[in-house]
Amino acid sequence: MSMIKTEKLCKDFGDLKVLKDCSLTVEQGEVVCLIGPSGAGKSTYLRSLNHLETITNGKLWVEDKLLDDRINGVNQIKITPQERQQALLEMGMVFQRFNLFPHLTVLENIMLAPVTVRKRDKAETEELARELLNKVGLIDKADVYPTKLSGGQQQRVAIARALCMQPKMMLFDEPTSALDPELVGEVLQVMKNLAADGMTMIVVTHEMGFAKEVSDRVVFMYQGAILEVNSPDVLFTNPENERTKQFLQSVLNV
Amino acid sequence: MKENPAVEEKKSNPFLRFVKKHKILVIVIIALIAIIVPLVCTVPSKEALVSAIPQEFIELEAKKDSESYQNIGIMSALKMQKQINSADVRQYLVLGVAGQVIDTTGNGFAEFWANFVNWLPSLLNGAKLTILLTISSVAAGLILSVFLALGKMSKIKPIQWFCRGYIFFFRGTPLLMQLYFLWFGLPKLIPAMTIPDRFLAAFIAFTLNSGAYCAENIRAAIQSIDKGQFEAAKALGLSYGQTMWKIIIPQTYRRLIPPTANEFIMVLKDAALTSIIALDDLSRVTNSIMTSTNNVSVYIVSMIIYLVITAVFSKIFGSLEKRFSYE
Ligand SMILES: Nc1ncnc2c1ncn2[C@@H]1O[C@H](COP(=O)(O)OP(=O)(O)OP(=O)(O)O)[C@@H](O)[C@H]1O
Ligand SMILES: [Mg+2]
Repeated sequence: MSMIKTEKLCKDFGDLKVLKDCSLTVEQGEVVCLIGPSGAGKSTYLRSLNHLETITNGKLWVEDKLLDDRINGVNQIKITPQERQQALLEMGMVFQRFNLFPHLTVLENIMLAPVTVRKRDKAETEELARELLNKVGLIDKADVYPTKLSGGQQQRVAIARALCMQPKMMLFDEPTSALDPELVGEVLQVMKNLAADGMTMIVVTHEMGFAKEVSDRVVFMYQGAILEVNSPDVLFTNPENERTKQFLQSVLNV
Repeated sequence: MKENPAVEEKKSNPFLRFVKKHKILVIVIIALIAIIVPLVCTVPSKEALVSAIPQEFIELEAKKDSESYQNIGIMSALKMQKQINSADVRQYLVLGVAGQVIDTTGNGFAEFWANFVNWLPSLLNGAKLTILLTISSVAAGLILSVFLALGKMSKIKPIQWFCRGYIFFFRGTPLLMQLYFLWFGLPKLIPAMTIPDRFLAAFIAFTLNSGAYCAENIRAAIQSIDKGQFEAAKALGLSYGQTMWKIIIPQTYRRLIPPTANEFIMVLKDAALTSIIALDDLSRVTNSIMTSTNNVSVYIVSMIIYLVITAVFSKIFGSLEKRFSYE
């Protein structure tokens, strides 16, 4: 069973074609890294997957359930908002800028969605939340407000928050780009543990080391198109596409 | 580098720090001291007061209880009203006992002080009404305004149009006119909608009006919240309503306090408009004292009361702001 599948996915912002015929299938338990130059459309692709952006053309499946089959923005299939919502709950997302809720404590941040959206029992959710906080190494920060935390700590809370919804897959949009260099490691470590636990992950990243080490496949995007999908071994050492080669040279040299 | 001397000064001088932090409060306190100290110093002695009591009063009171008139403070005007009925005395009684004692030929602070004591009960009654009207209508207006703000941002066109129209109307016409219409106009148009009580009429008019103003504040506050908050909420599966009530609106509280404090002070002063429907708010009481005594100093007393109210509520809003800053 594939977790996520897109076929000829296109996204326009007005006249600007940001995604062009992006087709990709991500299997259960796979870790897929998205790399590419700035403006390539990596974020937009990720945001299209969980409907933060509405795609213009193409098809999108989540857990083999067809959610979108769009032509010029109009969905060709009938699907109720509840059905779509239900499918999308299986997808957690972590943002570049954390986006924690500043008026809630760490624990409240984590517990809010499971309790209000999934209607989970409060006590059970708290137990799970604490377990996850322990996992990301922040159990002592449960009752602290996010503004009191470092960037790396905030991002780890954001990961715990997404995980507490018990999603089947996680999307990461440059989770370490807003962090000071010395804080990158702690967040990547959490993500590595998550990958080792078998979570299906799609990660937009500039951390080539992480992509090399953790991912099963690496996707190279360029000007809105997916140019190459390969295992990290092949893609980083012997890329098929000329653009990939140029891109890797430019990043690895810097 | 530059900051160091300032920091040291702050540390070394807690008094200055206090003054800087509570500017309004300090100004009001100084003003109060400046007025009250000379007043207190020039309070006429008991003997002077007693000697100024007209003979008819003394005779009357002496008949009953020789001690009671000695103690000026407890001679209730009401009691006298029952005993004496001449038009002359009734005029005195309007303002209470001390005003009776010091006749209007008294001078300077002594006179002012006596007047102050006389006027205070009715002024405070007026102030009570003003405060009550302000608090209740701003509170109700705030609740109303949340719905107006959400309505104005709604994707459902009729709701959006209604809220736009509402806000446009109530911000675009004078509150005075709205009050006139509600109290004098509406009963003529639709007798069934006659509002039975003056205070209720004022409350409704002020709530409707304040709702429109606060709605714009709330809308601005909501739109100032980082887009990432909406996205995070959506990614977690929260509905629009859940996002608004649990994520966005709670974050606007702190940002809403300064404009709400502003609105509060505006309403406090606009409450004077209720004079036109004969509601005895602070301003109307002030003016009626002025017309009945021809004494201008009542305006000063009244303005001090306004300043005290404003200062107290500024303080309250200030500490609310601190409480909501999730530290
Ligand atoms: N809401 C939007 N409206 C219009 N254009 C947009 C919008 N969002 C993104 N774009 C455009 O889409 C293109 C792809 O943006 P995207 O953010 O997906 O790139 P990216 O690969 O994530 O880049 P980066 O590495 O800088 O994050 C850019 O040219 C951007 O200007
Ligand atoms: Mg991006």
